[in-house]
Amino acid sequence: MNVLLGELHCYGQCLRSWAPFVAIFVILSIALITISLMLSNPRKKFRIFLFAQSAGIFAVALTYYIMDCSEMLSIYLYSVYLLISTLMIFGTLRYYDRIMIRKLGAKPADSFLNWTQEFVEMLTSAKLYYFDSAIPRAFASGRSIFISIGLLEMLDDDELKAVLAHEAWHIKHNSGMPFMKQLALMAFSLSGDPELECMADRFAAQIAGSEALSSARDKVDKVFI
Amino acid sequence: MVKLDQINISNDGLTKFFSPIEAAILRALWAEGEMTTSELTGKTNIPLTSVAGTLDRLVKAGYTTRRTEKVNGRVRYIYEPVFSEEEAANEITTKILDSLVETFGPLAVENFSKYSDKR
Repeated sequence: MNVLLGELHCYGQCLRSWAPFVAIFVILSIALITISLMLSNPRKKFRIFLFAQSAGIFAVALTYYIMDCSEMLSIYLYSVYLLISTLMIFGTLRYYDRIMIRKLGAKPADSFLNWTQEFVEMLTSAKLYYFDSAIPRAFASGRSIFISIGLLEMLDDDELKAVLAHEAWHIKHNSGMPFMKQLALMAFSLSGDPELECMADRFAAQIAGSEALSSARDKVDKVFI
Repeated sequence: MVKLDQINISNDGLTKFFSPIEAAILRALWAEGEMTTSELTGKTNIPLTSVAGTLDRLVKAGYTTRRTEKVNGRVRYIYEPVFSEEEAANEITTKILDSLVETFGPLAVENFSKYSDKR
């Protein structure tokens, strides 16, 4: 408790005259989050949310930069947190698909359903894998898309195209993903996953038709409820 | 056995040794031989939500095998029981008798002979 009070006192001392500047960024961040909550367009919502997170981090950086105090416990803790999260995010996201291939015993899908790999290549450069499980699942990681045989069993070709297009969208935008997750962790906030899913669905509807998308969604959601 | 470590004497039939869904799937497979996933959900009347995970477990535990087949360009799992009903009954009873003898020794053996005399 004493340590915490000491920290707070120290921040008060150090920031005294600069506090309004930090406050501006904190208020800006809160305002942007409020705006992003009110927007309905997923793309805009997502962008504004990223700006809000950036403003929050800028407030933290500013605090650190203008402070005269050193050896603050909270600064040390935040640095360690940043180091660990960076290692985890950039380490795991980069190798996650290779880990999954081994863990699931996944095999290239072109030997199985040859049109699927060609279809994915039309949309983005990614390799499609299938794995042995009756539970219908599809996910993207790195430059790989994974689908379970359970999902292949359940969907017709158009619905499968919708699912593949959805996952291909994720692959296309995967390069920014580690940075987005990193930003979210740095700002102690959530990453905009629902917005991303929504954008991926819009893309899937453009490619495979909204009917195929919604019937695929129906089938998969029914299983996951 | 998928759940032979947890025998539930008060349950009925196969659910003494298996979960109700596992038992329903095994009974269907013993009756039909080979079945697709949709035949299994139809016959057992259990939704795919509950069946899919159980099927993965039964395959992993070595109770059923499955192969994939392409019918009109669509992929299908075909399931098949590994043991017949008699083989499964044989394995269950042997395991239970083993554990009874291991725990109670000669007393258990004596009771078995009394039991077969009674019959």
